[in-house]
Amino acid sequence: MTSSMTRYRKYLFIAPLALFLLITLGYPLVTNIIYSFSDVTFRTIRSPRLIGIQHYKEVLTSPAFWGSFWFSAKFAIVATFFEVLLGLGLAIALAPLLERYKILLTFIMLPLMIAPVLMGIMYRLLLNEFVGPISQIMQMFGIYVSLLNPPWIVGTLVTIEILQWTPFAFLIIFSGLQSISGDVIEAARIDGASEWGVFWYITIPALLPNISIAAFVRFVDSFRVFDHIYVLTGGGPGRMTTSLSIFIYKSFFQQEQIGTAVAAAMVLLIVFLIPLIFSMRQITRK
Amino acid sequence: MKKSMGLFVALLLVTGVLWAGGQSEAEAGREKVTFLFWPGPESEAMQKVLDAYNADQGIKDNVEVEMLLFSRQGFYDKLLADMAAGSTEFDLNLVTTYSLGRYAPYLEPLDSYVTSDPGKTFIPATLNSLALDGKQYGVPTDVSLHFTIYRKDLMHRLLTDASWKSSYTAIAQKYLGKKLSPKDPAQWDWDDYLATTLFFTKSINPESPTTFGTVLQLKNLIFNIMIWQSTMVSNGGNWMDEAGNITINSPEAKRGLEIYQMIIDNKATPPGSLNYEFAESNEAFKAGQVASMLQWNAAYSTLTNPDDSPSVYDKIGVAPLPAGSLGHRTHVHSLGIGMNAASIHKAAAGKFVDYLFSDKAMEIYGRAGGSPPASMVLSSLADIRPEFPTVAEYLERYAYVVNGGTADYAVPVYEVMAEEFSAVWSGDQSIDTALAHTEQRMKESIHK
Amino acid sequence: MKKTLRIICYVLVVLICNLPLLATIATSLKTPAQISASPPLLFFKPTLANYAEVLTSPSLHFGTYLRNSFGLALLGTLFSILLALPAAYGMVRHGVGKKFLLPFVTNLRTFPLIIFAIPFYFMFQSVGLLDTVLGLAILSCLINLPLALVVLLSFFQDLPIELEEAAFVDGASTFQTMRMIILPLATTVLASVSVLSFIYAWNEFLFGLILTTKVATPVTVGATFFITSFGIRWGQTAAAITLSILPPMFIGVLSFRYLTKALLSGAIKG
Repeated sequence: MTSSMTRYRKYLFIAPLALFLLITLGYPLVTNIIYSFSDVTFRTIRSPRLIGIQHYKEVLTSPAFWGSFWFSAKFAIVATFFEVLLGLGLAIALAPLLERYKILLTFIMLPLMIAPVLMGIMYRLLLNEFVGPISQIMQMFGIYVSLLNPPWIVGTLVTIEILQWTPFAFLIIFSGLQSISGDVIEAARIDGASEWGVFWYITIPALLPNISIAAFVRFVDSFRVFDHIYVLTGGGPGRMTTSLSIFIYKSFFQQEQIGTAVAAAMVLLIVFLIPLIFSMRQITRK
Repeated sequence: MKKSMGLFVALLLVTGVLWAGGQSEAEAGREKVTFLFWPGPESEAMQKVLDAYNADQGIKDNVEVEMLLFSRQGFYDKLLADMAAGSTEFDLNLVTTYSLGRYAPYLEPLDSYVTSDPGKTFIPATLNSLALDGKQYGVPTDVSLHFTIYRKDLMHRLLTDASWKSSYTAIAQKYLGKKLSPKDPAQWDWDDYLATTLFFTKSINPESPTTFGTVLQLKNLIFNIMIWQSTMVSNGGNWMDEAGNITINSPEAKRGLEIYQMIIDNKATPPGSLNYEFAESNEAFKAGQVASMLQWNAAYSTLTNPDDSPSVYDKIGVAPLPAGSLGHRTHVHSLGIGMNAASIHKAAAGKFVDYLFSDKAMEIYGRAGGSPPASMVLSSLADIRPEFPTVAEYLERYAYVVNGGTADYAVPVYEVMAEEFSAVWSGDQSIDTALAHTEQRMKESIHK
Repeated sequence: MKKTLRIICYVLVVLICNLPLLATIATSLKTPAQISASPPLLFFKPTLANYAEVLTSPSLHFGTYLRNSFGLALLGTLFSILLALPAAYGMVRHGVGKKFLLPFVTNLRTFPLIIFAIPFYFMFQSVGLLDTVLGLAILSCLINLPLALVVLLSFFQDLPIELEEAAFVDGASTFQTMRMIILPLATTVLASVSVLSFIYAWNEFLFGLILTTKVATPVTVGATFFITSFGIRWGQTAAAITLSILPPMFIGVLSFRYLTKALLSGAIKG
């Protein structure tokens, strides 16, 4: 930037981050790469025996892996779509109200503050068809279904995710909305722009970075979904609700197929790295 | 802005100070032994044993035992991490029949620490359930087996009311193709259980006072398989034969899955059962919506407690699981106390283990709410724990451990069955496919 | 008219989103018999027994769990901002680390970190971080770095460079520019990153379970202590959950002032 900045000094900005990652992730990453090429159980976890790429072959040809991969992908796409759409709608509809009464923000944010694992445990009670208040409310409206059964189960799990995380998308988009200058909108209005025109040509483009951040974070978080599904269904019935994180966790801890679990995680790392390199290049280009 | 930064720093300081005041030094003198358990009635009862020991025998032994609790959610996974890493945070820890093989490499055999004869205190079968290769790895402190829990009022009416009897026979004829008449639950075979279940299902019999005849626990969970497998074992099936050949793909296993399937197909179990486990089944039963269920003995104390179960507490009957061709059978496993091989207080921990093997310790434990498989305790505490004599009787007459049920592959095998069979119960997979898959995957788990 | 509509919309949204929470609070005020009543009771005589049990149970140290979670979430948030802020600045203004470091960090979020549980266990064991709040804070920092980095990156990209250039011309050092020019403008974005990171760290369960034994147990793990092999103690679980919401709520209320105070940066952007 300036001439006083020597070639190497600028690396000081990223040095702490890089160093931190090297220290914290170096050892786990190396051990896991070794595990993924090894025959290893909990008994031999400190002395794995190298066996080559067998685990990767297993993973890539495993219907259980791909089944959970696609479950995670679909789950994440649907959840993200609704969370961002609802978050955007709420931010725009409620902004005037919330700017005036800031304390009202708190109540919208509340769902975020319950750990998903704990919420999952509570849902076991709330959705119970005999003693669950949510089932009862639905029955008052004449809806007699068991929400944790096929064909409803996936919808229920997605809805739980959406109910909890829409406030996240809302908050990110709302904070973007806060930084759009009133002057610009005023000027556009004076120039005769309609409400829709202002929304479409000023608000949305200005919010685009925030919308993409919300969508990105929510997508990857939902893709990794674990807690509430694991508590509510254990990934079942069968493998119907096994997300990739559940697949990996169960393979690792319960089936003791450590090599396979780690190989699956490594595949995931690589699968996401390539699109991320490209999309990050796009984001940082302008 | 400055103000907010100041606030932030102040908050950090406050939390820092709060931690610093945290842990106090252990008092010098008696050797501290840490005992790892999970929260709930078992550890609350065990605390009474610890208190008694610390106040008396512990002084003579110069040992003080304290309890450490880990969350039951993910307990085994956490324990596995600790033991594989050789944690020394605890000296004694929970062990179970079905996970014994997995944890045995990290456990210290107890034989050299015991001065009395354990066979005198404990029912030998339960001692064996925590032994491997001739070594005792755990003190059995709680025994788990299965009951048929039923509504006494409903069964009584079924056995006496003429019009109920005849509609029962009609339902049995229609759904099972057999001429059956109502029987006392203690005499049930699987067909009687099915017929009674269908009879008490409102969609089949509009006169039924309960909506569902039974409640099955079908969630993808290893404990639910432990209940299910009696449908197979009571008819002569098993995981494998004595020689170790896998026999899961058998007519007996198929029959077992068909028993469940019939209940599910006829909607005789609540629709949410596919994701039920112990707690949910109890809720359905407490709600008075279910006539009988196959359930863990632990449910008995909750269901007979007027505070917990106001509408059914005085109507609870207990019978063995329905009989197959081999008669009644129940899965049994023990929860017990083992010693961490990495412990640095083994001698001191061993003294407490020796105490645990005594009638006295187990009596305190039983009085406080535990279910120790000690013969003397089970027979002498009948006044406060009415189910104890039944537990003792079933243990002696009906209990089994499946072949391979204590091996290091037991948990992975249960996991496979839970996954494959829950897919059957949700209608995603046929019984034959599930059994073929299970056989295949068992081979992979076992011959690794 | 419009305002009334907005208020109705707000109330509806808050009610629907918080239905599970409201039901949880109701459960926390019920006795076991009331919880098992079928159909569920809409009106009942509330009891505080569950809260008393949670707060005074001798085998439970709920206050410590709350303190641990508060500490790890606060420290974790602080770490991730301290690391991400300069890095995001360097990436945008000097183009360093964009090629590999940035995608790598964002990729961390997609990665099921739990697969690292055992190596982390070994590592923490050997350096004494096992069962410490600091250890868990390091993990929550790892979990939150991607979010912090991406949000701050996008903030710097929208920030006009002219301001900093003016400061440099006036002879300010990089650090001074950071402190005097950039930080004040970043209030809103820092507030939202902090709140969200805090919440994510607060909600972490699996690492809290595996990497603690008794000293650093976080509240998410503590709240599961009412799951027993004899069933779930719903009332106490619900009370524990209700209590565990209070600290993040407090943090939220503190920071919301800054979330809606972006007038300055807005004026500059426009």
